[in-house]
Amino acid sequence: MFNRIDELVQAATQNHQSLAELIMQAECETSGQSQRQVWQRMAQNLTAMEAAAAQGAQGVRSATGLTGGEAAKLCAYRAKNQSLSGDLMLSAVQAAMATNEVNAAMGVVCATPTAGSSGTLPGVMMALKQQRHLTRDALIRFLFTAGEIGLIIANQAGIAGATGGCQAEVGSASAMAAAAAVEAAGGTPAQSAQAVAIALSNLLGLVCDPIAGLVEVPCVKRNAIGAGNALIAADLALAGCTSLIPADECIQAMAQVGQAMPASLRETGLGGLAGTPTGQKIRTKIFGQTMGAISDAKG
Amino acid sequence: MGGNYRSVFDIIGPVMIGPSSSHTAGAVALGQAARKLLWQTPHKATVHYYESFALTHRGHGTDYAIAAGLLGLAPADARVPQAPQLARQAGLDLRFVEESGPSPIHHPNTAVIELWAGQQHFQISGCSIGGGTIEIRAVTMHGISVQLAGALPLALYYAPDHAQLRARQLVQHLRQLVPIKRRQIKRGQAGAVYALNLGQALATPQVEQLMHQYPDLTFL
Repeated sequence: MFNRIDELVQAATQNHQSLAELIMQAECETSGQSQRQVWQRMAQNLTAMEAAAAQGAQGVRSATGLTGGEAAKLCAYRAKNQSLSGDLMLSAVQAAMATNEVNAAMGVVCATPTAGSSGTLPGVMMALKQQRHLTRDALIRFLFTAGEIGLIIANQAGIAGATGGCQAEVGSASAMAAAAAVEAAGGTPAQSAQAVAIALSNLLGLVCDPIAGLVEVPCVKRNAIGAGNALIAADLALAGCTSLIPADECIQAMAQVGQAMPASLRETGLGGLAGTPTGQKIRTKIFGQTMGAISDAKG
Repeated sequence: MGGNYRSVFDIIGPVMIGPSSSHTAGAVALGQAARKLLWQTPHKATVHYYESFALTHRGHGTDYAIAAGLLGLAPADARVPQAPQLARQAGLDLRFVEESGPSPIHHPNTAVIELWAGQQHFQISGCSIGGGTIEIRAVTMHGISVQLAGALPLALYYAPDHAQLRARQLVQHLRQLVPIKRRQIKRGQAGAVYALNLGQALATPQVEQLMHQYPDLTFL
């Protein structure tokens, strides 16, 4: 287990190991499980992610009707080959939104690192799978790399919207996906660290403001931006662009920004988009007056 | 602000029914932890929610998630959303209370679960720290309340006064298997609760063997 991104990069560089190999070894050491056991467990997570993205692309709807069906719209739009941002980007966005629509519809997802941000990482991974023809083994390595980056962020800053805002969820997911994408595309461990820094910096300050307290709006589309941001950060790092602030300091900055956020912007369903007239109207429509009374007492 | 995460599977995973890892999957884990104190379904349970949990539990399915955990269901079990009905069918009197004050254990995602089974009363205060990972920060069992560091895995054991030797044997036994990071012993009127923070989770066969030898042992 590593406490810092720079320690991870240094260990991988010194041992001439990929991040994924190093992380798998560390996981076996701390858990006492065999390489085969941890590999199989990750393979099961991958299967769940693939199933969720496929299910969402067919079109699902949440019980409230607030979300669903937009991944399917994107799928139809892609078929016309007229997108502005290119098909790799949109295939990532589609898988990201599909996964989160399934989550909002109370379907089965794999939290990466959370359920609210469960689309970002699979979105990026599935887009690369298609473009780079990644094998199943390569996808499992992708998940180990992403997992360790998330583990460091979780221990140094946090991954809960209620403590750190959406930056801690979609921001962390985006940084995890960016680092793993760099590795999958043949980048160095140091470039993965740059991608983490860039991805986190670009989503710093993102608030958690779910309408009616539901993991639906804006969560589904926040995962679209999380996936897009990860691909951009990975491309920047692969192009040799660097972040002035090192990844570990970006993680500290995210922790401090999270602590400075008022409770109304940390998964209470009170501020931000949730606090708009339309957001409040939806809340009242779904939950009636009871929830409103609580929010008045607390707000 | 950071958490006590130990494994890449705390980050990639769990595979779960949506919509929230902290308010749904984490809530299943809190319910499961409460159940483990009893090793049976209680006849009555009251869940006190604080802060973000109090404000958003309905939208996040936290009620059905805790009910599912109390019944022993896994986070990815398709029956999770139907858990409150299943709980009623199992004879469990389940209540949820939205508390307006701050969390007694200082976390926005807090649930304090009170359980009644037979003549016994238990209480467990836990928080969901994100990504489905939980901390248990206080328990009350056999009339003894223990404040805990929070991190899991944790072994809990109650030994009446005449069986303290047995408890010491357990501590030695555990120490041969895993590092014990913190040991707390809290004495009550007729016995003591041992709370042992383990450095690593035990393998399932080891847990089964220990629970066979020490029937009142709980692993969280």
